[in-house]
Amino acid sequence: MIRNFAVLLLLLGLAGIFIHLMQGYIPATELNQSAHYYAAHSAEDLGAANIVTAIIVTYRGLDTLGEVTVLFLAATIIGMVLANGHKAQRSLQRQLPPSGELLTTASRLLTPLILLFGAYVFVNGHLTPGGGFQGGAILASAALLLLLTDPLKRFSHRLIAVVESLSGLLFIAIGVLGMVLAGGFLDSRILPTGAFGTLFSAGSIPLIYSLIGLKVGAEFTSMLNNLAETEKS
Amino acid sequence: MVNPLYILAIGLGGAFLLGLLPNRQRSLAYAITLACLAGMAGIAASWLYAFALQGAPAMEVFTAGTQPPFAINFRIGLAESTLALLTLLVGLHSALFMRKTLITQGRRAMAVLLIFMMALCGVIFTRDLFNLFVFMELCVIATAGLVLLSTDQRALGAGLKYLIVSQLVSILLLVGIVFLYHSTGALNIDTMAALSVNALPGGAMAFFLVFIAVLAELKPFPANGWGLDIYESAHPAFSAIFSTATGGATLYAADKLLQLGGDTWLPVVTVIGIVTFIAANIFALAQRNDRRLLGYSSVGQIGLLLSVVGQRDLLGDAYYYIAGGLLLAHAVSKAGLFWLSGLVAQRELTAWAALRSQPVMVFAFATLLALLLGLPPFPGFYAKWDLAQQLAANDKLWLLGLILFGTLLEATYLLRWFGYTIKRDADEQGLVWQSGKADVVFSAVMAAWLLAYLWGYLSGHGNLLHAIPLLFALAFLPLEWLPAKLKNVLAIGGLLAWFYFNYPDYDPLKLIFAAVMLPGGALILLASFQHGKRRLGFYPAAMLMFAGLAMLINAHTSFDFFAAWELLTMGSYFLILRGKHSEPHALSYLVFSLGGAFLIMAGFAIAAQGAPEFPLTALAEVATAYAPWVFVLLAIGFMTKTAAVGVHIWLPGAHAEAETDVSPMVSGILLKAGLFGLFMLLITMGKQQLYGVELTHVLLWIGALSALIGNLIAIFQEDAKRLLAYSSIGQMGYAVFGLALMNHLGWLMALMFVINHYIYKSMLFLSVGGVAKRTGTRLMYRMGGLITLMPLSFIAVLVGIIAMSGVPPLSGFGGRWVLYNAIMTTEQRLPMVIIFLAGPIAFLYLFRLIHTVFLGQMKDELRKVREAPFWIVLPQMIFVAFLLAFALVPGLLLRRVDTYMNQFFAGSGGLDWTGLTITSDFGYWSPVQIMIIIAVIFVTLFLWLLFVNRKAQKVKQFNIVFAAERPYRPETTHFAWDFFAPYRRALGFLTVPVFERFWAAVAEFLHALADTLRRFYTGNGQTYAIHVLGFVIIVYLLMMGDQP
Amino acid sequence: MMDWIAMTTGFILILMGLYGALTHRNILRIIVSFTLANTGVNLVLVSVGYMLGRTAPILDKAVPMAEAVTRIIDPLPQALVLTAIVIGLGITAMMLTYAYKLYEAKGSLDIASYRELKW
Repeated sequence: MIRNFAVLLLLLGLAGIFIHLMQGYIPATELNQSAHYYAAHSAEDLGAANIVTAIIVTYRGLDTLGEVTVLFLAATIIGMVLANGHKAQRSLQRQLPPSGELLTTASRLLTPLILLFGAYVFVNGHLTPGGGFQGGAILASAALLLLLTDPLKRFSHRLIAVVESLSGLLFIAIGVLGMVLAGGFLDSRILPTGAFGTLFSAGSIPLIYSLIGLKVGAEFTSMLNNLAETEKS
Repeated sequence: MVNPLYILAIGLGGAFLLGLLPNRQRSLAYAITLACLAGMAGIAASWLYAFALQGAPAMEVFTAGTQPPFAINFRIGLAESTLALLTLLVGLHSALFMRKTLITQGRRAMAVLLIFMMALCGVIFTRDLFNLFVFMELCVIATAGLVLLSTDQRALGAGLKYLIVSQLVSILLLVGIVFLYHSTGALNIDTMAALSVNALPGGAMAFFLVFIAVLAELKPFPANGWGLDIYESAHPAFSAIFSTATGGATLYAADKLLQLGGDTWLPVVTVIGIVTFIAANIFALAQRNDRRLLGYSSVGQIGLLLSVVGQRDLLGDAYYYIAGGLLLAHAVSKAGLFWLSGLVAQRELTAWAALRSQPVMVFAFATLLALLLGLPPFPGFYAKWDLAQQLAANDKLWLLGLILFGTLLEATYLLRWFGYTIKRDADEQGLVWQSGKADVVFSAVMAAWLLAYLWGYLSGHGNLLHAIPLLFALAFLPLEWLPAKLKNVLAIGGLLAWFYFNYPDYDPLKLIFAAVMLPGGALILLASFQHGKRRLGFYPAAMLMFAGLAMLINAHTSFDFFAAWELLTMGSYFLILRGKHSEPHALSYLVFSLGGAFLIMAGFAIAAQGAPEFPLTALAEVATAYAPWVFVLLAIGFMTKTAAVGVHIWLPGAHAEAETDVSPMVSGILLKAGLFGLFMLLITMGKQQLYGVELTHVLLWIGALSALIGNLIAIFQEDAKRLLAYSSIGQMGYAVFGLALMNHLGWLMALMFVINHYIYKSMLFLSVGGVAKRTGTRLMYRMGGLITLMPLSFIAVLVGIIAMSGVPPLSGFGGRWVLYNAIMTTEQRLPMVIIFLAGPIAFLYLFRLIHTVFLGQMKDELRKVREAPFWIVLPQMIFVAFLLAFALVPGLLLRRVDTYMNQFFAGSGGLDWTGLTITSDFGYWSPVQIMIIIAVIFVTLFLWLLFVNRKAQKVKQFNIVFAAERPYRPETTHFAWDFFAPYRRALGFLTVPVFERFWAAVAEFLHALADTLRRFYTGNGQTYAIHVLGFVIIVYLLMMGDQP
Repeated sequence: MMDWIAMTTGFILILMGLYGALTHRNILRIIVSFTLANTGVNLVLVSVGYMLGRTAPILDKAVPMAEAVTRIIDPLPQALVLTAIVIGLGITAMMLTYAYKLYEAKGSLDIASYRELKW
């Protein structure tokens, strides 16, 4: 009780900090210098219609590399931790009741569509809302659906590992190419910027976003896979 | 140059590449990991080479082909490349150390390690705030993953606590970043810094959140329970990275942010840092677990560094030298110690005694501890010295005081641990020796010495590793395999040679000290010939002490003096620690000595007022505002070494428990270092007044009381070596008294004490040591009648006590004669009376040495003892001869000093040295005449006694103790036990150990405080998060409460 | 007005999440609470970039390139929030893994039962 009260008191203090923060907050009416630059230059320089994508993939591409690495790291650690325990438990798995006609059929029908949609989302990341992370998450949702249909289904670790590693390596390779061929690490102008607003435009952005999509999809699938294997049911 | 982005590319690429490998190919995966780490380190090293040796300017690295602030950029300069290299080398070595674990866990663990290293480099290089956040979060996740490598199940809990706290931190950080972006319109740190954030609306508040979040990652007190749990439970090689690389990178991130926040934040950083430093070191006092202790020490060191970061405005150009020195010292030593802990099987501190089975590990341990503590010649020493100078020059004495206090606490628990290692029982299975792991530890040791050389090279004060005495002492380390006798010859030769070559440069005063310390030391070393085998550890320690003494006399600047002082302190500490039961005493010696040394450092720093080089002679010109304080600090520091009353409690144990040939060194020689310092101080500063009190009068009182109390306690001792030790306190009291008289004769008397005390105390310690060796006890009532069995020792003791008690005809009398003459010239009557009183008391305890040890009844069990070994007796006989000579012609030595002193006291009160007679204002002293008269009287009486007793009947001895039942404590019936009981009844109140109780209470208080306060770390992850939140809010209320 | 509402909601979510994380003893509930707080943070992030009367930073026929500067909202917070979401997800996944391992080791999800390391 005392503890909850203390927490409440401290959070009141934190609320005070937040209020203090909001008091100093003046909503902007003009774009600030960074935003102005992005708004004015990204389409011209990089040829990406989606400015957010331009920022994510190119201007702040290093952050994005970091993000991808976060997912890779999380998936790797989960694999490392869970790989040790589960092998012995396979035999304990009891037989599950079948998941029903409806679910099975629907998943057969939906899975290819979901995969296609995911690919669409990341390939068009430079033009429309969406991109590699969103597309990757959609890809992984297909895996989730399959797991829901058949909890004992397993995806090939090997395949996942190859996809996640290769896409990661290619991502870095493109980044390094940026240093060699263009202005710096992850500069997307190693490929021609193309016609504005078309699929094959914005230099290497669609390529990178596709790699990210594959990688994110693979990481999520690997996490799901590993977590599913912990199931003792 | 290779673009630093390749460091990231290699790390990440390596990690992704590992994913492609089949899980079976673990050795290949391991090889790839090592190759990647080595490649990354190679790039960092090439940059360091370019910056350090070729003077290249710092370089900006752009990404995305766009200028900052619109794209992320990196910067690499000297600091960045050094930190990156440090990080990667620690990572590489930890990977080597964890070879087995990594191979068992497979490629995934290696990938995590590679990404961790890459992320740390990113934290160091990046100039973009949000990018910093991304890399820091990568570090968090990688840390959570690597904690799981531990075999300790408790690591799981620690990792979860860490994740909870980092969630809280990252929430604050993100909110802060986005508001800071809103205020400044950029995420680039340099762009933001140019805008002076505090002036922008909402800027200060947003910066506060960002900054406090980064600070919270640095484990400030009290928000650091989670860090300690990780240190305790993680794999030691990971803790090594976590303590050094993560700590260094995060600290550098905080440093970058400070450029953004401006100087108004420096005081906050300073206070948070110093509070953490002190609190962590107090808590560490109560630790029994080695890794948790190292964790507390890490937290403390980062706190210290933080408080140095808080001084960046006043340190100016020296900032990177000082902060870098402290950081590298912390990093290398902490990494080395964590690795070393991986070789020790048990987690108790005492389990480290197992290191003794590999003496080279003890050397490694000592090196790493010295590096951590900032002892000379390691970088922390130079850094702390310069820091102290700057702090004192800028009126930040409170900070200097706290830093020194914290360092003293740190020294206490670290060297107590070293004491356990040397003295406690070793478990045979206690050392998990693996040569690969040991090599990793040795690379840390090598790095320590390289850094020592480098910091000496960069120092403005000259390189200590170029000092010949120190090199000579260190040279004994690789020579440890030689037999002890050969090393002894080398040691004696070295001392004599140094004295011979420096002889022409000494002024008469220094000559006397040098003669006592160097040839005097060589003389005592003769006694060491009786040791066979190799005698591991003795010669490096002893020669370190002598190196310190030699350098002390030659010192011209305050830096040289202080460095020499610390060297001799460390050497003597190692030397004292060798005694059989000396573990607690060596520690108390060291703590007092270091405490005194820190006062000396503070005194010099105040005196210098920021002058880069401060000659000792400039003490005479210190501004009057500071002069008395400088005097007080230096005097207390020096008197800690002479064991003046109040700070004397370390001496009896340390001197009594030391080895037979060590006791005379630390008593006869080492104490003189304090007198040398006092001489130097009084010559330059003279009389000083503080609040109207004449400080030399205070010294006079201290000297008189030391003489009285030292002598008084000595008479109640049963242990012969403790008796001699207490008598040293009294003798040093005389010397201090003489110096404080501030007149010609007083100083002359002090100098006579330097010589006399060296001779007779060395001689007595040797003979008593010889007796103790033969009889197996140091308790006097268990001896008796040894005169016939050990006649040479008897002669030495007899001559020694005659000399010492100041009765004619030996040189002690000369000392007293000069003393009484000197006293006559002073107005201070009361201390003078006390000094007079102390004289006869000295006779009481000296009498016991002869009476109880050599005369009286012989004990049954001691009937077969032989004379002490030849090599112990030989120096005693030389001393006897020398005493007689010095008694006959004191002028040989003193005449030159006497004239030398005229320059200080304008010719007044000197002595007249015509012929063999010495004349003062009050009378004359003719040593030869006295000798002849005494000899005639003695011989006459002796012959008469022989004549009278020619028919005396021999009485058989029997002991009434065994006539009836055996008493509960047999010694109580012995006539020599509690010999001076009547005096005890009369004067015992003076010997109540008030100071012992006082210092014991201080120690007790600190330990109790530590034990109570540390319960605050309840081990609950939520509580830790609450601590972090509380920390944020407290800093907010203190710092931001009144700001818009 | 919208941005104030969003920002306030975000802060309240953070506080609620933290209250839950600091008072619930079940580790899974703590994790869920932190997810709530992270959502709050993301909301705050997005609301900071919001500007009244402007549109999403995607150039198409509705927002031609030339008018972008006056028509779109600040794109940077949108990029940041994506990164923040992904990182939050990574940490949540880590915490879940820990929860699983802890449960496996001791059979308890009460955070108070993991206090072997202290003082």
